[in-house]
Amino acid sequence: MEWGWRKLVAVQESKAPRMGALCKTPSAWMQYKTLLKKDLQAEFRTKDMLVSMGIYALLVIVVFGVALSFARPGEEFLEVSGGLLWALVVFTSLLGLNRSFSRETENGCLEGLLLTPLDRGVIFLSKATANLLFLAVVEVIAVPLYWVFFSSFAQVAPTAPLMIVPLVLGSIGIAGIGTLLSTITAATRGKDVMLALLFVPIIFPLLYACVAATTAVLVGGALMDSTFATSLALAAGYDVIMLSAAWVLYDFVVGV
Amino acid sequence: MSNRDRGQNASLRLPEAGQWPDKIALGVTIAGIVCTTIGFLLAFLWVPPVGGATVSGVALIGDTMVSQKMLISQKIFYFHMPVAITSFVALLFGAYYSVRYLMTNNERFDTCAAIAMEIALLFVVMTMITGEMWTRFEWGVWWTWEPRLTTYLILMLIVIAYFVLRNSMSSPEARAKASAVVAILACIDVPICLMITRLIPSSIHPVVLREGGMSPEMGLCVGITVVGMFCLGFALYRARFRQVRLTQRVEALKETFGD
Repeated sequence: MEWGWRKLVAVQESKAPRMGALCKTPSAWMQYKTLLKKDLQAEFRTKDMLVSMGIYALLVIVVFGVALSFARPGEEFLEVSGGLLWALVVFTSLLGLNRSFSRETENGCLEGLLLTPLDRGVIFLSKATANLLFLAVVEVIAVPLYWVFFSSFAQVAPTAPLMIVPLVLGSIGIAGIGTLLSTITAATRGKDVMLALLFVPIIFPLLYACVAATTAVLVGGALMDSTFATSLALAAGYDVIMLSAAWVLYDFVVGV
Repeated sequence: MSNRDRGQNASLRLPEAGQWPDKIALGVTIAGIVCTTIGFLLAFLWVPPVGGATVSGVALIGDTMVSQKMLISQKIFYFHMPVAITSFVALLFGAYYSVRYLMTNNERFDTCAAIAMEIALLFVVMTMITGEMWTRFEWGVWWTWEPRLTTYLILMLIVIAYFVLRNSMSSPEARAKASAVVAILACIDVPICLMITRLIPSSIHPVVLREGGMSPEMGLCVGITVVGMFCLGFALYRARFRQVRLTQRVEALKETFGD
């Protein structure tokens, strides 16, 4: 499609070299920036997704608090809290991902997007980046809150700030694969359930690696030495494979 | 366009069934039944217990307490592993046909992929059942969150989600594309599941090479059962493919000549 566009522009340029405005195909980077800006603008005008994700994260924390109200807070609690943090991230991101593509299906936005001569991979990348940014905003609020509620009473290992590494790797994978799956499920009946049904099993290896890495940095010691590097390698490998697969496959699922 | 032309054009696009593999399907079915039966008999009557052990009561073999019951429970290996390998192969075929579909947009490959996934689901469930039986005797629990078991459970959930997805989409083309993508994603979990017992050393799921390889008798028995399971999987695939394809053909004929 891009080829045709370039050719068309080239023909126009050669026929009318001095006819005023120079018409050039926007680079993929420009297309990406424009699409990302559109997504961010639409979100920050209403903020409905961010607000609902944030409040939902808080509610999940409250539910965890109730569920664990009989567990004794102590050092062993750290071994659980890494995993709970990821449960929080997965549930919150599911809520956001459900919304992320449904906005496009309203008012013929998707048709407009698909009629624009641009590579579908660019649509995927901009959507995934927007989802990643929303997830990051929510995590910036939710993780400190989580810390206050669930980890502040225990003595965490000095490696705890390294938690940011699995969080970044996990969020990238969640946003990438989640964008592909939310696009697929936007066209199904009962799309909210369908997204969860596909998203949780497919994201599982990444989730496993991230939980292992997060628990390792919180507990420290031998667990840190033995699992941290392996888990991060697994998470990074999963990110690379799944993002490239999603990027390639996005062509086929968008707008059919 | 005259009526006759329309009929001819439509007949060109009718879903077809009954290619050459159907001719050998019956033979392959019989071969599969014979091979799995021979494997079953060999496993119990001919292959000696692992490590040449014969135990009445309890003994210490290789730092583990072994009983007669455990030696018998090991026999499930001769079915568990072939079934698991067949499920992986079926998943690979599902992904292969999905890629073919995305390349050609030919709905025949969509049917192929869906049926390969059905066969995969069947073998995945059989693997789970045999695995849980073994786990119950060997480890004393029905389930443990061991890496191999967990990744395989995830694989099963993805295959189930594949069919839920197929059922929740009405447009055939959109359904074919979306499910092809999911089948390819499921295929990415296959090598993870295959390699995880090697990658994570704490995994307690047995690995044949780590346990010291197989004796020639074991190898022969497993080989025969693997061949038998492959044959059965292929035969089931062809039978189901023929059925689905003929149904599609009837539907297409009805649509063409219905009015």
